[in-house]
Amino acid sequence: MEQTHTSCTPTGHTQAGNGCGSQTNDSAALGLQLDDPKLSADVVNKVTTHPCYSPEGHKYARIHLPVAPACNIQCNYCNRKFDCSNESRPGVVSKLLSPAQGADRFSKVKARIPQTNVVGIAGPGDPLANPAATLATLKTVARTEPDVHLCVSTNGLALLEQVEPLKSAGVSHLTITINCIDAAIGEKIYPWVFYNHKRLRGRQGAQTLIDRQLAGLQAAVAAGMLVKVNTVLIPGINDHHIEALSQELKSYGALLHNIMPLISDPAHGTYFGLTGQRQPTEDEVSAARQAAGTNMAQMSHCQQCRADAVGHLGQDIDLNELAATQSPPTQSDEESSVLVAVASKSGVLIDQHFGYAESFAVYRITADGIEQREPRQVSKYCVGDDCDVAESRMDANLQALSGIKHVLCSRIGITPWQALEQHGVTPSTEYALFGIEDGLEQLQAQLIDSGSLSPQSTSDIKEAM
Amino acid sequence: MAFSITNACIGCNACKLVCPQKAIVSGSNGYAIAAHRCNECVGHHADPQCASICPIETAIVDANHRALNPPGSLTGLPTERNVIAISLLEQRVSKAQGDARPASGEGHVC
Repeated sequence: MEQTHTSCTPTGHTQAGNGCGSQTNDSAALGLQLDDPKLSADVVNKVTTHPCYSPEGHKYARIHLPVAPACNIQCNYCNRKFDCSNESRPGVVSKLLSPAQGADRFSKVKARIPQTNVVGIAGPGDPLANPAATLATLKTVARTEPDVHLCVSTNGLALLEQVEPLKSAGVSHLTITINCIDAAIGEKIYPWVFYNHKRLRGRQGAQTLIDRQLAGLQAAVAAGMLVKVNTVLIPGINDHHIEALSQELKSYGALLHNIMPLISDPAHGTYFGLTGQRQPTEDEVSAARQAAGTNMAQMSHCQQCRADAVGHLGQDIDLNELAATQSPPTQSDEESSVLVAVASKSGVLIDQHFGYAESFAVYRITADGIEQREPRQVSKYCVGDDCDVAESRMDANLQALSGIKHVLCSRIGITPWQALEQHGVTPSTEYALFGIEDGLEQLQAQLIDSGSLSPQSTSDIKEAM
Repeated sequence: MAFSITNACIGCNACKLVCPQKAIVSGSNGYAIAAHRCNECVGHHADPQCASICPIETAIVDANHRALNPPGSLTGLPTERNVIAISLLEQRVSKAQGDARPASGEGHVC
């Protein structure tokens, strides 16, 4: 079932992969010259230890964590509907992961393939359209393994405002897919972009995207990231424009340019596939690389991999087999977990008044996962009698809630609120009417951000999604 | 006054991230809009945010079941083309499955 396209660079949504596999002497001559005195030792090291940045990096392995499903643009070479095991092209993954599951997958892969030194987020949507999931995953991975290279691959629309957060999360390698710098071309590639709360179409959308890509590129270079630009070569649309594009990329300080052929199989259901847009020939791809090579160092060893690729380039490992392996044993989990009680009438939303609850659903949150525990039974606090009796019930309920650190409910009176706080329990109505799962995930993110949860335990992550 | 999400949804989560009312809930049964939270973005934005980022035609409908993104409005493709895409995909899958099996009459006896 699997086709031969597999592994490679962290590349954005859909077709944001990298060029094809054949390497000729020509293409090597167009590549990055590592003895160039303008390259610092640090840059050379970062390039040669990354399998997607240089052929020398092939001994290292990479993992793409598919934690970013949302996208903020539509490309005519992408169809968000299909996720079929028959296709393995960028933008397609079999199963999404939460940030915690993503970090767990990394730990398992690292245990199995110790050369895994690159963790990329490439989609299946756009990583920066999912900034919270992307940053949480990167930070968790960096805490587990400080020496790993963190990469992100993006369409660039939301890059400018995310450069600083990415930089402080430790992202060293960035890939932006830029197909053109002319909106008249762009409108043939992007039917719409979602920017500043609006869906922008046609030339306006394309111009917005191009402006934001170049501003983001500039900011990322200024922040010291190694920036690679991917360009999908589309015959008759942007093939005459490659040299002008590469000139612009050079002036903005991009390090590498990766021109890759359009994939337009009609079976993928993309606009280009269904409207008969043809793929470029091998000769057209090398001609484009020659033209761009006058300005930019070219990449030619890429294999246009999926957003969930794992392993050495061209030798992806089987994730099903991996799921069966055990995580490393955990340390004491007392300090790295928090018990949370949830008042829910429906069992789906956080929709019950604290005073009306007769039972609280209990969850154990760690940095890596959320699991349900036995519910706690209490006496309904609010039954309309006098307050002294209510107070004695509250004491009993505090007993019943022992060990709980947070209580999530839709509403709560000031008296029980204070009583809970005095006993070291934090009540919250912030997640009123949220889905239970959503509320817990947001609380988890908050606890990780505030440093209350440290990622010690990785054993209890549920792979089930 | 509230929108809802249809079976066309692919679960990409984009709407949930942009909803100013945090009205979109998700779980093992997919995505839904909590009607009591949805105000169709009135007072927040000129356009409803979920429908402005949703990549899938007909996935979000109004109270009268009218699609906010009708067929053809996002991909530019007529709907028949999507039907063709699915049938091509099915053909390919069944062909690939067929290839994986030994052709009848040629199997080796072990």
